[in-house]
Amino acid sequence: MLRRDFVRAVVSVSIAPRLLLSQQTANPAPPPPAPVPWTLGLNPKTPLPETAVVDEIADAELRFFSSQQIATLTRLSDILLPPIGNKPGAIQAETPFFLDFLIGSSPDSRKAVYTGGLDWLDAESHKRFSLPFAKLSNTQADSLLKPWLRTWMNDHPPVEPHADFVNIAHDDIRAATVNSKVWSDVPSVGAQEATVVSLYWSPIEPDLRADNSECSRIPATLTAAPKPSHTSSVYPR
Amino acid sequence: MKNENFDVLIIGSGHAGGMAAKILTEKGLNCLMLNAGPVADVAKDAERKPAYELPYRGFKPPGRIEHVFQSNGFDANVWVDEQEVPYTFDAANPYNWVRVRLFGGRSLFWSRQSFRLSDYEFKAKSHDGFGEDWPIGSTDLSPYYSRVEEIFQVAGAMDGPPQMPNGNFVPDDTPWSESMQRFIVASKPFNIPVCKQRRALGRDGLASSVNLLLPDAEKTGKLTSIANAVVRELTIDKNTGQPNGCHFVDRLSRRELSVKARVIVLAAGTLESTRLLLNSGIGNSSGVVGHYLMDQIYGAGVVCSIPEARNGKATKELMGGSAIVPRFRNITTKSDRFLRGYALNVTSRTGAVEPRNFAAYGAELQKKLDEYYGSAFQMTIMGEVLGRYENHVRIDKDKVDAWNIPVLHVETKYTDNEYNMAKDAVEVGAAVSEAAGFEVLSKNAVPNPPGYSIHEVGTCRMGDDPKHSVLNKWCQSHDHKNLFVVDGASFTSAGWQNPTMTILALSMRASEYLATEMGKQNI
Repeated sequence: MLRRDFVRAVVSVSIAPRLLLSQQTANPAPPPPAPVPWTLGLNPKTPLPETAVVDEIADAELRFFSSQQIATLTRLSDILLPPIGNKPGAIQAETPFFLDFLIGSSPDSRKAVYTGGLDWLDAESHKRFSLPFAKLSNTQADSLLKPWLRTWMNDHPPVEPHADFVNIAHDDIRAATVNSKVWSDVPSVGAQEATVVSLYWSPIEPDLRADNSECSRIPATLTAAPKPSHTSSVYPR
Repeated sequence: MKNENFDVLIIGSGHAGGMAAKILTEKGLNCLMLNAGPVADVAKDAERKPAYELPYRGFKPPGRIEHVFQSNGFDANVWVDEQEVPYTFDAANPYNWVRVRLFGGRSLFWSRQSFRLSDYEFKAKSHDGFGEDWPIGSTDLSPYYSRVEEIFQVAGAMDGPPQMPNGNFVPDDTPWSESMQRFIVASKPFNIPVCKQRRALGRDGLASSVNLLLPDAEKTGKLTSIANAVVRELTIDKNTGQPNGCHFVDRLSRRELSVKARVIVLAAGTLESTRLLLNSGIGNSSGVVGHYLMDQIYGAGVVCSIPEARNGKATKELMGGSAIVPRFRNITTKSDRFLRGYALNVTSRTGAVEPRNFAAYGAELQKKLDEYYGSAFQMTIMGEVLGRYENHVRIDKDKVDAWNIPVLHVETKYTDNEYNMAKDAVEVGAAVSEAAGFEVLSKNAVPNPPGYSIHEVGTCRMGDDPKHSVLNKWCQSHDHKNLFVVDGASFTSAGWQNPTMTILALSMRASEYLATEMGKQNI
C-alpha cells in the first residue's frame, strides 16, 4: 500500500463514526451564509439540463448582406437546394441567414466572392429578364446558373469570375443545409447526404482565444452600472 | 540550480522528439521534454456531436485557421490558431503552415503512409545533377527503418521496385479488388508500377508518439515532461559558447522560466526548430539555416467513376482497396519536362461521390448522386519539390506571436518543375483511367499552396561540408557538438515519400549516436 493510501485509510476510519453521527443529528447545521463556493455542489450525479439547438428557437438579425443581396441569396438557395422528397431544402434550414452570419464573419476575400457574386447575379437578371433574381422563375434562373456550373476537386473550386461564386455558393449552401437540425430530423434515403456526426474537440486549455475572438471586439449589449451607483457593499479583493 | 541534472533537453514531443526520448532514456540518460501545448485527453476534451450543435454548422471558425485546409468545425481547436501564432508571407505566394501543439504534435493526426527513402533520393545529385547528395545512404538508414517499422507495425507487401525499398512489414496479402486489377492492367502499357499501400497500423488505431514512444520513455523513470512550455530561445554558456538550456514562457500564466541541460535536441517540427535557431542566433555559421525549404506537391489528381459499380451494383469484390504508384519518372528514362518525380495514391471506394463532381444541382444532382453512389475511384499526387536556396524562412522583425516571440516569414513558391509534374500526373492518371474504362468526373492539375502536405522538410539540411550545410550526418550541428536537430529540418532532399518513417529513423540513429558519444565523454 502506498503511503498516501495508508494515510487516507486511517483518516477515513477515524472520521467515519463522526460522519455517521452527524447524519443522525435532528437539527443539522444550517448552510453557511452566502456567498458560498456553489460549484462544490456539482458532481457527476448532478442532472444536466437539456438544451435546444439555437437555430430552431431564435431568430437572427441580418448583419452583413444588404436586403437585395439576401433576397438574391434566398432565391439562389431555393433553386440550388429545394426540398427533395421528404428532405427540407435550404430555405427550411434557414441557410441564407446562417450564411449571412458565416460570410459576415469571414475574411474579406470570402466576403468579396459573395457580395460580388450576388450583385452580378442580380444585375444579369435585370439585364436578361428585367427582373430581380429573387423574382425569376426556375427556368429563367436555370438559364443564368447552368452555364457556370463546373466539376471540381476538393480545395480547387473554379477561379474564373462568376463560376467561382456559383460553385462555391452551391457547395456552402449544401453543406450548411445538410448540417442543419431540420435536415438531420428527416432520415436520409438512398444516397441523400447525412448530417455529419463526429468527434468535436473543445478548446483545450485555451488561453488567448477569448482575447483574440471577434466577440471581444463587439461592445457589450448591457453596460455595467458605474461604480458610484453600486448599492451593494464593496468587497476588498 | 534546480535542473542541472538533466542530461538532455528535448524540445518537441511528436514523432521526432518521442523517438529521441525513448532511445535516450532507455540508454540511461536523464531527459527533460518541453512541449508548447497541452495534453489532449479525448475523454475530457472531446465528445461526439452532430454538426448543427457546433458554432458554425461544421464549417471551420472564420479567420482562425484559414491556411489549414484540412480543418473543419469538429477539429478546429486542435490546430495552432493563426491569430495566436501568426506567420507572414507575400500575398502572391501563400504558404500553408499546418501546426499542432498538443502533446504528441502532428503524430496524433498523420495519415500513416509509411515509406523508406531510396538512393534515388539519398544520392539524387549523383543521379540527375541537381542539389546535393545526402551524407548518408540507404544502407546507413536501413537497420533503423526496420526497427521503426517494427515499432509502428507497418503493413505492406514486398512488392516495391528499387525506388520504393521493401521493409520489415506486417504482411498485407489481401487480394486486389476487380477495379484495382483493371487499373493495374491498364497501367502496364504506361510502364507504371502499382503496389500495395504501406501504412502504419500502430496500436489500437493510433500510431503516435504518445502511444508508441513516450510510454517506453516514461517507463524508464528518466523522462520529465512539461506541457504548455513555449520556448523563446536557447541559452548559451558564456564560458564555453555552447548552448546550455533555454528560456521558455508558460503558455497559460505567461511566467518566464528557464531550464538547463548538457545537450539540446530540437524536435519541434521543421519550421519551429528553425525558428528557434534563428531567434537564438546560433548554429548558423553556414548561413544556410532557413534555406532549402521543401515539401511535396499535393492537390492535383483525378476523380473517376466505375460504370459497373453504379446503380447499386458496387460489391466488395468490385470496389475497395488502395494502392501506391511509386515514382516512375526519371528512374530508367529521362523526362524533358521535369526533374525527379511523383507518386500517386490510388483509392477505390464505396460510399458517396461528392456533389462537386457533377455540374448539376437540385433534383438533377440528387439523381446523379443516387446513380453514382459506390463507384468512386481516385488518384492524387505526392510530388517531390526541389530544394532551392531561395525558398526559405527568416525572422519577421515586425511581428511577434502571443508570447512576444518573433514570428517566421516564409518565402517560397513552386516552379515549372513542380507545375509540370502535376500536369503530367493528371494526364497520366486520366489516360490510365480511361484505358481501364473508367469515367473521369473531375481533375485538377493545380497544386495546393506550398506547405499543404504537412511534409515541410529542409531549412537545416545535413551535409559533410560545414560551409554548405547546418548539420552533419548524425543530425548534429556543425557549430555546436551538443546541439542536435532530429526532425524534418535535416532533410537534404524531399523525395516523394511521406517523411515520417525517415524522421523516425533519423531521430533513432542520431539519438543512439548521441548516447554513445555522451558515454564516451565526447559531448
